[in-house]
Amino acid sequence: MKAFILAGGFATRLWPLTERRAKPLLPLAGRPLLSHLVERIPREIPVTISTNAVFEAGFQQWKEFGGFTADIMIEDTRHDDRKLGALGAVARWLQTKKIDDDLLLLAGDNYCGFSFADFLATYKEDALLAAYDVGDRELAKHFGTVILEPQTTKVIAFEEKPAAPKTSFVSTGCSVLPKRVLPILIEFAQKRPDNIGGIFEELLRRGERVEAFRFTEPWFDIGSFHSYLEATRKVVGNGQILGHGTNIQNTECTGSVVAGTNCSIKDSVFQDVVLFDNCIVEDCHLRDCVVDSGCRLNGVDLDGQMLRQHTVLNTKH
Amino acid sequence: MKQRIRAFGLLHCFSVSLYYGAVRYPLLIATWLISDLLLFVGAFALAYFVRVGWILSSDYSLTEHVIAAAIAAPVFLSSLLTTRTFALTRNQAGIRNGVYIAYACLLGTAAFALAYYFMHRDLFSRLLLIEGFLLACLAIWMWHQGFGQLSRLVLRRNPPVFRALIVGVTRESHRLIETLKRRHSPIVPVAVLDARGTSETSIEGVPVKGRLNKLEDVITQEGITHLIQCADIEQSLNLLSTCRNHGITYLLLPSVLGMVERDERIETLEGQPVTMVNPRERSWMWFFR
Repeated sequence: MKAFILAGGFATRLWPLTERRAKPLLPLAGRPLLSHLVERIPREIPVTISTNAVFEAGFQQWKEFGGFTADIMIEDTRHDDRKLGALGAVARWLQTKKIDDDLLLLAGDNYCGFSFADFLATYKEDALLAAYDVGDRELAKHFGTVILEPQTTKVIAFEEKPAAPKTSFVSTGCSVLPKRVLPILIEFAQKRPDNIGGIFEELLRRGERVEAFRFTEPWFDIGSFHSYLEATRKVVGNGQILGHGTNIQNTECTGSVVAGTNCSIKDSVFQDVVLFDNCIVEDCHLRDCVVDSGCRLNGVDLDGQMLRQHTVLNTKH
Repeated sequence: MKQRIRAFGLLHCFSVSLYYGAVRYPLLIATWLISDLLLFVGAFALAYFVRVGWILSSDYSLTEHVIAAAIAAPVFLSSLLTTRTFALTRNQAGIRNGVYIAYACLLGTAAFALAYYFMHRDLFSRLLLIEGFLLACLAIWMWHQGFGQLSRLVLRRNPPVFRALIVGVTRESHRLIETLKRRHSPIVPVAVLDARGTSETSIEGVPVKGRLNKLEDVITQEGITHLIQCADIEQSLNLLSTCRNHGITYLLLPSVLGMVERDERIETLEGQPVTMVNPRERSWMWFFR
């Protein structure tokens, strides 16, 4: 089996946090989201990460500093309107590398709380997808929904972002495709290169059996500011994670507070705040904020803000 | 030969600067200020002939009259400068602008009277002061109309000196771009970005370049000088930060804050700038609220 991680998106909804880094490289609880994902993959499975030319350096850096052995595949595009599409990237990789093996397909912007060993243990030569109950059909509208045969794990229908979902079970960005269906994927990718969920509809249409792995552990599809903060809250809980060299003085912290490396925090009040590296914050009240690296804040109150790299806000000139 | 090459190089630099606007705007402003000074003096010189007749009086010297007007002219110009009449965003045809010009001319006239009195302990004619004031008002106001139009024409010439990036595809941004174009504003919209993405490819002929992830590219490629935020209030801090980093002027449409009735004003509250929207009252309350 080979693992392929999709990380080629431009993540425009998370601008400005994703201005200079890919979404899978966003820190979650002090470590890149991608690290959480890769560390769960059994060591014997070789990993390939697909990204675009804009974020290439970031992934190489992640690989080098994290000591990962993953192969980085670069999609030669610098604009979101010219990208191959998620499925298109998989198809190209399968063809260029002549892959003839089962495929563990993962979305790089997903956080999966379950054990991949458990997930893979349920794989029985049929397509397998990890399904999660979001508990709300309204919420399910934003995902691919999975309708299961009663009392079994067999998928009988798959609907990509339905207007009126029949279930609150959704497909997460984690699946296994047996090698026999890969030609179907390549063929389908030519017609719908961006429709990653559509491959399951196609498999069902062609009479292929698709199984679901149901899990209850936390799962997040980090696509927006709110989902990023929500994932941080769930993973960190009520507590603080402070990076190396970070100094915090006379500061009241509630909820989840995460600070990257070499930050200086003084005389402030934090509630659910994520600071990236090298931030200096003094006399600030921050709530539900994500502050990108190199920001310098002094004497400001912010609520629900994502701050761009190197933002300087100082009310004490 | 070397001197020739150097001179040619300087000329080339100047023409390039003129083309890209580095010189075009300062040159226009300098011309405008000097012409205003000359017009003020000229209006008072004309008042001399209107009052004295088309002769050079030996009782009341034209030279002394013009010297007094020349001394008063900087006072007039300084007063006009404080009203920001020469600001890029000012509409020269507006009533407010006319009032500011009259106010500056009034101060200039007072300065003329004082200057003449200090120099000669005498004043030839009080009516001359009124005529000088009226002629100066009229001449300056008309000149500002003409020069305002001329400078817009020069500043808008390709490539425009002031290039605006519009952020947000909304009906407000449609209206704004349409207004800027219709009124030949010196600030020319050259690109549009939208935080959420849009199916529109252009607004009033201005290309929609994509989402905010292209912000840096667009700023650099288009040589943006002004950023006008028409939507996406949650990104204000980041857009402001970008503008500060690039030395770009940031403008915010009040509609982004929900002020859609065009009744907002920027005021100060104990020295701190605030945006104010008053309840609807009688018009004379404008002086007191």
